[in-house]
Amino acid sequence: MPIIEATNLVKKYPKPDNNSEFFAAVDGISLSIEAGEIFGILGPNGAGKTTTLEMLEGMNDIDEGEAYIDGIDVRKYPHEVKKIIGVQLQANEYFDHLSLIELLDLFGGLYSSRNLDPDALLGLVDLTDKAKAKPANLSGGQRQRFSIACALVHEPKVLFLDEPTTGLDPQAKRNLWDLAKNLNNKGTTIVLTTHNMEEAEALCQRIAILDHGKIVAQGEPQELILRYAKEPPTAPLHGSIEDVFLALTGHGLRD
Amino acid sequence: MTSRAFHLAKVFLRMFLRDRQAMFLSLLFPVIFMSVLVFMNRDGDPIEINVANQSRSEIAAEFVKALDENPLFEVIKGEEEALKKKLTEGDATLVLVIPKQFDDAANATELGVFVDAAEVRLLGLIMPTLEKALLAIERKLRHTEPMFSLRVEDVQSRSQGPLDFLLPGILAFTLMQISIAGSGFNIVEYRRKGILKRLFVTPIKPSEFIAAICMARLVWCLLQLTALLGFAVFLLDVNIRGSFASLYLLIVLGTIIFLCIGFAVGSLAKTQQAVGAIGSLVIFPQVFLAGVFIPIELLPEIIQPVSQLLPLTPVVNSMREITNNGASLVEIMPTLFGVGVWIVISFAVATRLFVWKEVVN
Repeated sequence: MPIIEATNLVKKYPKPDNNSEFFAAVDGISLSIEAGEIFGILGPNGAGKTTTLEMLEGMNDIDEGEAYIDGIDVRKYPHEVKKIIGVQLQANEYFDHLSLIELLDLFGGLYSSRNLDPDALLGLVDLTDKAKAKPANLSGGQRQRFSIACALVHEPKVLFLDEPTTGLDPQAKRNLWDLAKNLNNKGTTIVLTTHNMEEAEALCQRIAILDHGKIVAQGEPQELILRYAKEPPTAPLHGSIEDVFLALTGHGLRD
Repeated sequence: MTSRAFHLAKVFLRMFLRDRQAMFLSLLFPVIFMSVLVFMNRDGDPIEINVANQSRSEIAAEFVKALDENPLFEVIKGEEEALKKKLTEGDATLVLVIPKQFDDAANATELGVFVDAAEVRLLGLIMPTLEKALLAIERKLRHTEPMFSLRVEDVQSRSQGPLDFLLPGILAFTLMQISIAGSGFNIVEYRRKGILKRLFVTPIKPSEFIAAICMARLVWCLLQLTALLGFAVFLLDVNIRGSFASLYLLIVLGTIIFLCIGFAVGSLAKTQQAVGAIGSLVIFPQVFLAGVFIPIELLPEIIQPVSQLLPLTPVVNSMREITNNGASLVEIMPTLFGVGVWIVISFAVATRLFVWKEVVN
C-alpha cells in the first residue's frame, strides 16, 4: 500500500524573461512511494526536484494533477497533511536568541505533540552536548542533523529531506546517511532529493530521475544500472579518492 | 485563539526580551530627547553682572541690592578698572558702572554699561531687566505707582511645562516607531532567512502566526512604554492628569494600529533596507503633521486637514487629552472613534497585503 500517491503533477511558473508566457517546472510527474521506503528524487539543478517536494508537502499549489499522503488529499487538506509529515528544508536558519532545546520545544508546540522528549531527540541526532547552543554556532553537518531533529518532533509518518548532504564533508555526509537509515529502520518513510549519485545508490531503495520537470527513469538503483549503464565498468582495483580521503582522515565526525 | 498561537507568542516574547540591545536602543532616543527638553527648560544659572559702585548714596546701595535679589543675576562687586579688564579678557559679559552722582537728587543720571557685544543673546536678556530695576528705583524715588500691570492666569489653573505637552507626543511617536519596526522588520527577516517557510511546513495557520507576533510585540511595547512613562513621571516630574487605565488603553489600541501597519510594510518590502525606507515614509510625515511635537493648530491651514487623516493624529490627541486635561474616555469619544476606524483600516490592509503564498515562497 503506497503511502504517497501522486498523479500527473504539474506546476507552471511565468517565464523569467517573459511574464506572460509560462513554463512547466514540473510537467506531469507521477510517483508511488511505499510505506517504509527511502525514495530518492534525483536530477540536475532546476530539474523540478524541490518544486515536486513542495507540492507533496502542501507548501506549493498543485496546478494540475493530484496527490495523496496516507490517503489525505494534499490539495484539499494541506493542513492535515502537514500534521503527519516532517520537512527538512534546504535553508536551515532559525530564530536568533533561542537554543536548540528551546527550538525543539517551539516546533513541538506547533504540532501540539505531547510526548516530545527534546533531549532524546538531540541524542538521536548526536547533538546532546549542544543542547544549550544556538544554531548559528553549529557546523554545517550539525545544523543539518538539527534540522532533521526539528522535523521529527511529532514522529511523522513521512520525512522529506531536501538535498540533506549538499555542502557536507564526507564524514558528516556518511553520518547523515546512517541517521537516515536508522530512522528508516524504525519505520519512517523517507523521501529525499539529491544530485549526488552515490548517495542515491547507497541510501535509496528506489529512485526517480528527473529532468526538465519529467521523470526520465524510475526503479531500484541496481535495476536502473543494469538497464541504462549498458557497459558495466570493470570493477575498480582500488576504491575511489573519497575512500582515500576517509582512510587518511578517519570516519569520525569533524564537528 | 488557539494554543498554538499562544505557544508561539510566548516563544516570540522570550526572543524579543532576550534582544536587550534592541530594547535599549529603541528607548534611547525618547529618553535623551526628554532629558534634553527638561535640561533646556530648567531655570538657568544666574547671569554674572559686574558692578562698580562709585556712589556712596543709599539709593545706589539699594539699587545694587535690588539687582542682587533678582534670581536672574549674580552681582559681583569690584573696581571699575579691574572689571573692565575682566571684560576685555572675555571673563565678563557686562560691567555696570554706577557714577558718584547717583543719588536722590532729581537730576538725570547716566549709568555706564560696558559690554562684550558678541554676547548679543545674553544682553537681550539682561538689558530689559536692568531697565526694569532702574525704573522701580526711579518710581520709588519719585513716589509714583506703576499705572499698568499684567496678571497672567491659566484658565485651567494648572502648571504645564513643555514636557507635559510633549510627553503624549513622545509616547505615541515611540509606540509608532517600535511597533512598525517590531512587526515589519521581523517579517522581512524571517522570510529572508527561510524561517517563515520553516514555520509553515508545520500545521500553524497564517492567522495564528499574525496573532502570535502581535501578542508578543504588544507585551513588549507595553513594557517599553511603561519604562518610558516611569522615567517621565518619576524622574522628570511630568504630570499625568487623567487615569493611567485610559492612557494604557490608548497605548494598546495605538500599538495594534501600528503593528498592523508594520505587517503591511513588511509585506511590501523585499529587504530590510526597504522596510527602513518604507517605514520612514510612514513615520516621518506623521512626526511633523500628527501633532507629535508641534501642535496641529500651529501648522499652515492648508495642511491641517491632512493631519486629521493620519493614523497617529487621533492617538496623540486622545493621549494628550488624557494626560494634559484629565479627560475621561467618554469625553474623548470623537478621537477614540478615529482610533477605532484606523484599527479596522490597518488590520484590513495588513491582512490583504500579507498574501501568504507570496510571503512564504
